[in-house]
Amino acid sequence: MPVTSLSRRTLLKASAALAGTVAMPSIVRAAPKEIVIGGPAGAAKYFNESVFPLLKQKLGVTVLYEGTNSLTNLQKMQADKAAPKFSVVIMDDPVMIRAAAEGLIVPMQASAIPNLGKLVPGAVHLDGMWANYQLPWAGIAYNTKSGAPTSWADMWAPSHKGKVIVPSIQNTEGFWNLLIAAHLETGKPLAEAQYDIDAGFRKLKSLVPSLLNVYTNAPQAMNLLEQGEADMIGGQFSAYTLTRKMDGAPVDLAIPKEGGFAMPSGIAKITGGPASDLADAVIDAFLGPDVQQVLATKAVVTPTNLTTPRPAGYPDPATLFAPDWGFVAKERGKWAERWTTELL
Amino acid sequence: MAGLTRERRTAYLLGLPAALITAALFLVPLALLFAVSFTGADGFSLSAYARLFGSEHYLWVIGNSLQLALITTLVTLVIAYPASFAIARAKGVWRSLLLGSLLLPLAASVIVKAFAWTILLRSTGIVNNTLIALGLIHEPIRMIFTETALVIGAVNVFLPFMILPIFAVVAQMDERLTEAAATLGAGPVAAFWRVTVPVTLPGVIAGIALVFSLTVSAYVVPTLLIGERYPTLPSTIAKAYLLTNEGSFGAAAGVVLLTIALAVVIVSSRLGKAPGAAR
Repeated sequence: MPVTSLSRRTLLKASAALAGTVAMPSIVRAAPKEIVIGGPAGAAKYFNESVFPLLKQKLGVTVLYEGTNSLTNLQKMQADKAAPKFSVVIMDDPVMIRAAAEGLIVPMQASAIPNLGKLVPGAVHLDGMWANYQLPWAGIAYNTKSGAPTSWADMWAPSHKGKVIVPSIQNTEGFWNLLIAAHLETGKPLAEAQYDIDAGFRKLKSLVPSLLNVYTNAPQAMNLLEQGEADMIGGQFSAYTLTRKMDGAPVDLAIPKEGGFAMPSGIAKITGGPASDLADAVIDAFLGPDVQQVLATKAVVTPTNLTTPRPAGYPDPATLFAPDWGFVAKERGKWAERWTTELL
Repeated sequence: MAGLTRERRTAYLLGLPAALITAALFLVPLALLFAVSFTGADGFSLSAYARLFGSEHYLWVIGNSLQLALITTLVTLVIAYPASFAIARAKGVWRSLLLGSLLLPLAASVIVKAFAWTILLRSTGIVNNTLIALGLIHEPIRMIFTETALVIGAVNVFLPFMILPIFAVVAQMDERLTEAAATLGAGPVAAFWRVTVPVTLPGVIAGIALVFSLTVSAYVVPTLLIGERYPTLPSTIAKAYLLTNEGSFGAAAGVVLLTIALAVVIVSSRLGKAPGAAR
């Protein structure tokens, strides 16, 4: 007897849940069919070719993509604050931090975006303000003729004098060298060394005179690496380096023994943006396994959804260090000033 | 008298649309830039200027910008002056060929030109290979991302802006002037300094003003040819607006840059007029 009553309840629950899941997409389908997403210009090609057709198929939504650099999109968001045009924005964390501080993006709710709860630890930032839908990994990009570096300390080796390039602190990837320099100088683990950026500046200062260049323009730096003019670029990442390797360039990306880093590629919901439900559905799709699988192969990035199979040879996101972005946000302006006035 | 006033009034009326456009597109933004540069956390403040002129670093940055502009202007002048005479004296096809080779590269983006120099100057590039083949050096010397490379690139990009104004004056110059000087007993050197130079001076002045103000405000060329280790005023402005979000500091750097460029234009045009006025 108890068995039947239990199964009836279970049946009731199950049918309610089924009705819920069936009804949700139909609500979404009844809503506007177009959505505007702001994001990086560099991603436009694989988004348009591989990701957006998938969204159209799954959600019936047509994406209008505004691909430019993050800071331009931030300015558009500031200008349209009263009547936002974007529903969803895709940007690097440093810019997300500014958008969050200005109230331009709104925290995402796990009730509306279930995949938020299925991400690797550290992929959701500032209580859901934004989430990482992919993790390009950073290490040392090197020319295959000069050999793979095994330690970050190799950048300081006299044999590579005049052959090392580092990114500017203006670029997101510029932070990694500061962090690893703090680790090398203090010997503390990365989790502690990230708060001792003074040490990072001291150590990095000893590298500056023997650098080939400090770049803000990544394609130029990559070109010099491919031509063998540079041996390595410290802090470069997979989405840039390994896509060039796929095209046949003599470059590769090493994760030295001290570890590699998780580059922050975030997706967020615009405060008061149009088609709120649709925005949730699109963000959920970006955080789900289907879209992430496509991104993993097209952009050479590690998926953040725990259920997405990771392609062979891709590092486990758990082994990549993700810094305390709140601290970075607070200090970044100061570091930028010190980088200019003390380091160069 | 009444007619003159009416004429003048008509002239003012006709000039009004242009004046309004100029005011809206140039004067108002400049006034805004100026105003923003004097703001701080609570209203009026000189803090942006105090930071620019009070720190050794930013004085060095201003010095970098001035040094690059000065050297580039001098080098382009030395190349452009004889080149202008060569083009002006050339006849027919030669003249078209020379002018074409000067003007055509202007159509190529400055990014392409700057990028091209990093290819030419790299250790396996054509410049190093040629020097090694000639036996002048034994192993490649580092040329990219040096101040020398920066000046070479800047001279290449801005040379036409020195040649064109000088060429325009030289092409108009009456060749009989030097003959007249010779008839009056002046040797070639005296004729050059006392006749040719004063006559071509307005072109030289215009060229100096153009090249100096273009170089002092150049952003792409220093960014691609030397990078962050040679910070200039334009790169400081870009950083203030795009990275550190300090509008008033960026505006102050912009005002300083504008002041330098204006000062050079004004001083050089004064200098240009002086010898003519004395004669």
